[in-house]
Amino acid sequence: MANGEVLGVTKIVDAGPPEQRWNAVIVSEGYRSAEMAQFATDAQNFADALLAAAPFDRLRAAINIYRVDVTSTESGAKDPTKCGGTGAKPKTFFDASFCSNGIRRLLIANNGRVTKVVSKQVPQWHMAFLAVNSPISGGSGGPVATFSKAPGSVEIAIHEMGHTAFGLADEYEYFSGCATDKGHDKHSKSEPSQPNITTNKDRAKVKWRDLILAATPVPTTSNANCANCDPQPSPVAAGTIGLFEGGDYFHCGVYRPEFDCRMRNLNRPFCGVCQQVIVKKLTPFLPH
Amino acid sequence: MVTRKRARKSKARKTPAKPKTKPGKKSPESNKAMRLTFSYDGNDVKLVSQKRTEMILPATDSLKGYGTHKGFWAELRSARDKTLYRTVMHNPTKNDAEVFPGTPNEGISRVPAPDRKGVFVVVVPDTDEGEEVILCRSKPATKGPTKGVSALASKPAEEILRLKLKK
Repeated sequence: MANGEVLGVTKIVDAGPPEQRWNAVIVSEGYRSAEMAQFATDAQNFADALLAAAPFDRLRAAINIYRVDVTSTESGAKDPTKCGGTGAKPKTFFDASFCSNGIRRLLIANNGRVTKVVSKQVPQWHMAFLAVNSPISGGSGGPVATFSKAPGSVEIAIHEMGHTAFGLADEYEYFSGCATDKGHDKHSKSEPSQPNITTNKDRAKVKWRDLILAATPVPTTSNANCANCDPQPSPVAAGTIGLFEGGDYFHCGVYRPEFDCRMRNLNRPFCGVCQQVIVKKLTPFLPH
Repeated sequence: MVTRKRARKSKARKTPAKPKTKPGKKSPESNKAMRLTFSYDGNDVKLVSQKRTEMILPATDSLKGYGTHKGFWAELRSARDKTLYRTVMHNPTKNDAEVFPGTPNEGISRVPAPDRKGVFVVVVPDTDEGEEVILCRSKPATKGPTKGVSALASKPAEEILRLKLKK
């Protein structure tokens, strides 16, 4: 039995007909009927943050953003006590819950139900976000980028969109953490399919060779101790594209394009290579 | 207008396949797409639904050079098994999950999530030439410290599912 109802869809950023544009959809979860005005504000704030982030700021003409209003019987998301939560068990439309797999900040909902609702409301959708009405920090990726109202959660959603919509890899060089990893010293020689990491250190053949300036050393950094994450600071100016060792959950043998990137840390811009990928993917949606 | 386009397309489908269009090129079909929804439970992947939609797709990833690559992707193939469209994906069937920091000074990290199941969506161009969709995925290691973790799979991807598109 549904704990709420789908009220409808509103286009909150209009760049043109949905058949011709890239369509992002923000869906509400854990908002009661009386809280839908708040969701409208939250969705608009999210849309503004997304379109302010490079390279989306220069792709506005390609992007529609929709808000799908879905009410829930009760506010928030489940917060099990086994993860240190409050024990709250609100009745919500998409059954969002913290503490998935025993991790409090892993906030997951019924993504099958979300994609069904989105497909019905915006058949031409490309990316779906689920905005969960909870102040607790959390989120998750997959077919739907799920995020809460905790400060910084929009960053989670944009990072996850990098994976889901643009096929970008994680650029961080560890799995559970630099101090706790075992077996993450050296990446395999297989080339990753994702466009923002590589095992190839040949300047003439690396995927993003066109963006590396002749004066930039290649590799740009090398990790002297593959048992750990590389502690050295960047030897080049921020924004320099090169080959920085460490990424894709391994300390060595794999390279990322910039020292830092939104796919490595939250609250950073996308690196130049990720931006180029996004622009290439969205170019067909720009008005001719 | 839409009716006329559909009628033309329907007629074309009755004739033997003769490539007329290329993904990314302008054509009467260039804004037609097929949305495929898959479910996964552990390593098992199944098609749940297939639906035609009028929409533009993101530019294809490179059509060549993926023979030894690792990762996860979907391809649209012709009757002659030629790749017509490729979309590289962040493995949607992972058995681990990303955990985000509670404070700005912490980094992102990953944890095993062995019971993951759910759905994912693949959208490919709906063209006369496109006959099949394949999914490719790297297998996780069977021994060592990265054993069983799909995010850490290091071998070249293998075809895990092939389906004929409904015409």
